[in-house]
Amino acid sequence: MPLLNGFRSGAFRFAFLLAAMFAVGAALLLLVVERSISQYATLATDGGLQSEAAILQGEDREGGRASLLRAIALHRRAGGEEAYRYQLTDRTGHMLVDDFGTRSTGLGWGHVTLRDDPQEPGAHLETLKTLGVALPNGGTLVVATDTYDIEELRASLDRFTIAAGLTITLFALIGGYLIGGLFMRRLDRVNDAIARVMAGDVAERLPPIGISREFDTLSTNLNAMLDRIGALMDGLRQVTTDIAHDLRTPLTRVRQQLEVTLGAGSAARYDAGIENAITQTDEILGIFRALLRIGTLEGGDGRQYFEMLDLSDLLGQVVAAHQPVAEDEGKILVAELAADLWVEGDRDLLAQMMTNLIDNAIRHTPAGSRILSTIASVDGNVVVRIGDDGPGIPAEERANVLTRFYRLDRSRNLPGSGLGMSMAAAIATLHHASMELLDNAPGLLVRLTFPASATRPSTDKIGNR
Amino acid sequence: MKLLLLEDDEATRTHLERALGEAGFVVDVCANGRDAIFLGSSSEHAVLILDRMVPGVDGLAVLKALRAAGIRAPALFLTAMDGVHDRVEGLNAGADDYLIKPFATIEFIARVHALARRQPENSIVTTLIVADLELDLLKRSVRRGGRPIQLQAQEFKLLEYLMRHAGEIVTRSMLLENVWHFHFEPQTNIIESHMSRLRAKVDRGFDQDLIRTIRGSGYRIDAPA
Repeated sequence: MPLLNGFRSGAFRFAFLLAAMFAVGAALLLLVVERSISQYATLATDGGLQSEAAILQGEDREGGRASLLRAIALHRRAGGEEAYRYQLTDRTGHMLVDDFGTRSTGLGWGHVTLRDDPQEPGAHLETLKTLGVALPNGGTLVVATDTYDIEELRASLDRFTIAAGLTITLFALIGGYLIGGLFMRRLDRVNDAIARVMAGDVAERLPPIGISREFDTLSTNLNAMLDRIGALMDGLRQVTTDIAHDLRTPLTRVRQQLEVTLGAGSAARYDAGIENAITQTDEILGIFRALLRIGTLEGGDGRQYFEMLDLSDLLGQVVAAHQPVAEDEGKILVAELAADLWVEGDRDLLAQMMTNLIDNAIRHTPAGSRILSTIASVDGNVVVRIGDDGPGIPAEERANVLTRFYRLDRSRNLPGSGLGMSMAAAIATLHHASMELLDNAPGLLVRLTFPASATRPSTDKIGNR
Repeated sequence: MKLLLLEDDEATRTHLERALGEAGFVVDVCANGRDAIFLGSSSEHAVLILDRMVPGVDGLAVLKALRAAGIRAPALFLTAMDGVHDRVEGLNAGADDYLIKPFATIEFIARVHALARRQPENSIVTTLIVADLELDLLKRSVRRGGRPIQLQAQEFKLLEYLMRHAGEIVTRSMLLENVWHFHFEPQTNIIESHMSRLRAKVDRGFDQDLIRTIRGSGYRIDAPA
């Protein structure tokens, strides 16, 4: 229904609302103007009648009845079309002057309605305002004036306001319809794109809506969201593939192991075979656990339980735990720790992250290597560095190391799941920390930067379990 | 010693019940939360073993209810979930230990033992003694056969944990969790490296070894028979 598009749109409804508000506003304005004009006109009319009556009262007092009659005739002639009209009744009730052709309206303010021209049939009815006063020489004088001009003014004001209101309302509605149609057309394009995305075309992106900057910001943000969703889906697909590939190999090995054990023949061989199978199963479960953990970490789980903790202290503990291991492997593990650097985080996860990095450094360096762990405050950020002087990682391989199960060719024969680095990266991301792999010249340097926003200097040991 | 076991999976429940029985425990078993609350509050148990996820009233709610009813027995959570919030919620509900499924039976039994023998919090122990080995918690000193032994801080904590659980098997992950507060499995042999240093100081030069390796599970410190 393309014709109805404009009416369905929010823009049209908005224009309709504006038009309605304008109409109400115009009506109110009209009411106010009309009231003040008629008030002003009434005041002017009343003032005129009062002074006319006073003048004629004066004529009657000064010059008597003849002078009054003369004055009335004079005024009538001088006024022409706009002249006042008079009705003069003497003491006995005899009507001396009568411009109305009706009975006396009496003293005080009043109204009288009469034909425009008594001689002409079918003429307009005319309303006169009257003021009756008692005369000094007896009798009653009624002065009247028509209110036609006021009525005329009022009517033309009404016509103008209604015409203007209708025109503007109409324009608003037409504009609303057109703009609404424009919006709908633009949004239809976006909706079509969304429909294509939902139908499975994940590469599809929304066109800019145009019209104004905020709409383009909206479509840009929606596209960013689609990118994020795409990345998450890629991650999920990656995990699925990883599980399929990297768990199939150890599972195959367990299966072979069990097959061999099945025909082993002696209790000792059964035991050995089953023990071997259990060990391998534990390894597989460990990989599962790590994969699930990385998955939940990437989903942002756990941030709500973060607390302030002394990262210097924690790194010190992790290093101390690993020093004998490094020593046994013929490597030197040293720490240079600036004291009392606090970050917001989860103690277990941060300990695991630093353990994974130190584990890596210990396992992937030759005997005699030196591993240096430092923590320092740099521009308000807390920076942890774990560097070794081993073979390092070629620059082009560094990004790969962070992907799950990725292993450098030379370390394929070493034990390890290939998940340690991606787990460390996931933990860093959860803590809003950046993790960079750099050249330690020679060796690998892993630099973790906890932004100042996630850190806070503190002296009391909250969260230090 | 009587334990409470809440586990909804029948195969697991039967297996754990048998393993606990072989370890010398008497077990009240239940398959749902309601029964667990009833059993837990109607008789005394040395340890509460609760599966975190059971249909209906789950292990977390059971523990909260029992704690609210004044049941102070140590609790061990069995859970398949090891996210940060699962851990924090479990500890907040009053769990003393948790074990992530799947686990080795020997690990499970070792942890139940550790909880069951745990000294009440108000009993003050200042000296731990195993045979001629003596650990003074106040002076932070260790002597064997009257001869002082110099230990580093981590070695001291390691020996203290072993001696507090003298005669019991202490697994690698129990040591990681209780001595280093690591709730994960490092890729390197942290425990072995520290243990070999500790043994060199505690056992070398003496007639009998006190610290024994239990193959496939962990360590135990014991007076020689």
